[in-house]
Amino acid sequence: MKKIEAIIKPFKLDEVKDALNEMGIKGMTISEVKGYGRQKGHKEIYRGAEYIVDFIPKVKIEIIVEAAMVDAVVTKIRETANTGKIGDGKIFVLPVEEVIRVRTGETGKEAI
Amino acid sequence: MVDVELRAKRDALEYLWRQGLSGQPLLHKHSQLIDDYLVACFANCPEAGEGMSLVALGGYGRRELFPYSDIDLLLLHAPEAEDRLDPVTQALFYPLWDAGLEVGHGVRTLDACLADARQDFFFQVALLDARHLAGSQPLFTAMHQAFHKALIAGHRREFLQNMMQHRNERHQRYGMHSYQLEPHIKESRGGFRDIQAMLWVSHALFGLQDLQAIEEAGLISPQEKESFGQAWDFLIKIRNRLHYLSGRKNDQLFFEYQEEMAKAFRYSSTRGTLGVERFMQDIYRHLQTIATTTDLFFEHVDETLGAPRANPVEQTIEPGITVRQDRLHLTDQALIEKRPYLLMRLFAHAGKTGLEIHHRSRKIVAANLHLVDDRLRHSKRMAKAFLDVLENARDVLEVLSVMLETGLLTAYIPEFEQIRALAQHDVYHVFTVDRHLLQTVAELKKLSINKTPFAGVESPHVLALAALLHDIGKGHHEDHAQRGSELVTGIAKRLGLTGPETACLSFLVEKHLFLTVTALRRDLEDDVFIRQCAEQIQTPERLTMLYLLSIADAKATGPTAWTEWKGALLLEISLKIAHLLERKDTTLPDKSQGAGWMLAQVRALMGKAAPADGTILPEEYLLSFPPEEVAHHLRLRAGLKHEKQAITEAANHKLFWSVLVMAHDSTGLLAKICGTLALHGLNVVSAQIFTWEDGTAVDVLNVRPAAEQSYAEQDWRALGEDLNLALKNRLGLSHRLVDKFRAAYRAPGQKNVQAAPRVVIDNKASEQYTIIEVFANDRPGLLYDITRTLADFEINIHRARISSDGDQVVDVFYTLDSFATKINNPSFQEEISKALLHIAENETGTGAKLQW
Repeated sequence: MKKIEAIIKPFKLDEVKDALNEMGIKGMTISEVKGYGRQKGHKEIYRGAEYIVDFIPKVKIEIIVEAAMVDAVVTKIRETANTGKIGDGKIFVLPVEEVIRVRTGETGKEAI
Repeated sequence: MVDVELRAKRDALEYLWRQGLSGQPLLHKHSQLIDDYLVACFANCPEAGEGMSLVALGGYGRRELFPYSDIDLLLLHAPEAEDRLDPVTQALFYPLWDAGLEVGHGVRTLDACLADARQDFFFQVALLDARHLAGSQPLFTAMHQAFHKALIAGHRREFLQNMMQHRNERHQRYGMHSYQLEPHIKESRGGFRDIQAMLWVSHALFGLQDLQAIEEAGLISPQEKESFGQAWDFLIKIRNRLHYLSGRKNDQLFFEYQEEMAKAFRYSSTRGTLGVERFMQDIYRHLQTIATTTDLFFEHVDETLGAPRANPVEQTIEPGITVRQDRLHLTDQALIEKRPYLLMRLFAHAGKTGLEIHHRSRKIVAANLHLVDDRLRHSKRMAKAFLDVLENARDVLEVLSVMLETGLLTAYIPEFEQIRALAQHDVYHVFTVDRHLLQTVAELKKLSINKTPFAGVESPHVLALAALLHDIGKGHHEDHAQRGSELVTGIAKRLGLTGPETACLSFLVEKHLFLTVTALRRDLEDDVFIRQCAEQIQTPERLTMLYLLSIADAKATGPTAWTEWKGALLLEISLKIAHLLERKDTTLPDKSQGAGWMLAQVRALMGKAAPADGTILPEEYLLSFPPEEVAHHLRLRAGLKHEKQAITEAANHKLFWSVLVMAHDSTGLLAKICGTLALHGLNVVSAQIFTWEDGTAVDVLNVRPAAEQSYAEQDWRALGEDLNLALKNRLGLSHRLVDKFRAAYRAPGQKNVQAAPRVVIDNKASEQYTIIEVFANDRPGLLYDITRTLADFEINIHRARISSDGDQVVDVFYTLDSFATKINNPSFQEEISKALLHIAENETGTGAKLQW
């Protein structure tokens, strides 16, 4: 089992969510995050005053999938969230040791 | 086996309820059923009898027993009966517990009762409703009399204070966000506890037994009694069903029950509103009725019994309105009928002074709503007072809430009726629509325009109206923003707004979600899209209004609607649109379309008059103006005959004016322009400076007048003449500036605490230019001195932004040295820094102190 964490542009959320739903992925965790990578923060100068935007708003999606699904999911996110511009985001794939459903106590594949 | 019998009886009751028995009759029947059972139990228990009295307390004492309410009992006993108590309590209480009822029970002597009642206010009020069920009547009567003697008589004021304090604490606890969506019909504001509080006080303090008696005593009006009674009946039915539905003692209208309740009470969905929304609207309205009536009741009683207030002196603030004991009063019914706009004036005064409106005057407002007719809705005086509240009230939420509760707001703006107490059946909108609108006005007031980067707002009243009315179109099946924008046109007309103001209000209401939705759902790096946004918004002022409205709207929606994360996205899109709007022309091609395309447009516009060689126009210049203006500049260029001549043209953009200056470029040209503008009382806000390849300078300076002065009053011709003199070196700008502002000299020793001036030279922020920032305390002629200094170093200024931040100004210059390269040499940088610091630290240029 793997956890896929994708940091994407906020306006891409709906598209990515729909695309993943179509693939049969029904559950995900979404959070509003801020940060910066290569895009850095930027400085806006407007009417003489500076507005420093040091952390840029992004959306984080977290999904747990079986290892066999990872490639397909990552590709789908990459295709959907891509605008070709800087700041499109990143995808991380992490190993997951165990998944447990709180209500039933099911583990592993059944609990995803 | 008795509990089986009891259970069967209660099942029978539920059966009756299913057959349609509800309201008071159900409560009475339930009480009777329990009464019969307990009386029988008591009679059948051999040990029960002498020296004992079984007493019903609280709601049960009042015979208002809801299906799963607690059954509060007191076994009152004489000290001698102590030994016989055990079997009696077993016989009475065990079957009740076995039947699954919630029993609140106490076994006390008379003295213990009084002692406990002194300690515990809740027990004290429970005793108010004490009712004898079985056993010794004399014992009960003795307790009853002792209780009144010890705790009520002679303690009336204390009793009232306690009651009011508990009521306030309860309102606070149950007024939080979660209870807005899911009202607690017992404890929330306007719930059963408020009804009881009023009845207890009437009963204990004035011996009034019911609503009828309270009305006859003049504590509430007949109209109040009627709507109060209806609300009460309605809430009883709701609570009965809620208990049966939940299968337990639950008094909070949880989300999951709301729909089922609405269906049960035959609220069906129509186009535009769900049944459950109209059901909740009725609930909120009834809760509000009870809240308003009991508020007024308590204020009235408090005034009657309470300590005399300070400030007994009466002060008339306008005919018909006085201040007495820190409350505003309407004093003259005849005058109100003659000048009904006094009703609104009362609220304007409440807003201005921050004083509360006396409860009697609130009732007077409510009783005079018939005077608010179509004519009054068109009255200028009325509109003025109303807008005064919106714009200037100290606590605008409080004043508008009272205006809503008295009914004046809906009478004045009938469009409000549709959304009054309208609930939205989701977890996102915490408040009913009307409250949300009032909240938005309050949130808007908290936002300081100075904290935003955007242009000022010329008509704050239009923005405040937009906040108050942006959701006015809700409750219909059409798009609420669209419907709202149509409705507000009519409202604006009645309020006497001008054509442009009306258009602006309608625009704001129609687009109130635009920025928020766009910021979240669209690619903010899509230049074409941003340009479309700018085209829709049209002016920087509208953008500012929309930006402020979006924030206020979100903050007033609920705890989850506004986050800093959203704020960052909103700021980003707004800044992007603002940059485009500042360039005035939104059809401007972006860089991808290139300068070549622009040049072709200019040529097409000018035809034969077009210059043969377009390459004299630098790319950056071409990308900064629309083709029409470039063509205009080229035509003006033909009028420049001499080296030392300037063409000056002014234009009015409302929030600022712009001055176009065209001249042959020369060292110090910008300094002379800035000096001349200062001499004519104009502050430069920003500047764009270009030089064509043929040496023509095209400078556009955005300015604001230093004094209150209209565009027409400004002597533009004299400005042009002076600039020409300055260019011919015939005008001594330095001494004239000092002369002109000598009157503004500040007496020594009055200097404010000011931040130290500083100069920052930055080569990183811009790829192309060296950015020089000067932070200085503002004074007339400062910009002239700075630009002159830069000219001495042969530094070319290509763009400038001047803004003030309190006392300090921040002047930002995009510069290149005389070889058109960035200023990289550290020692040269230091030299420039020192020279500019010298200028910035020198408060007047002559050493004297200036006030600006």
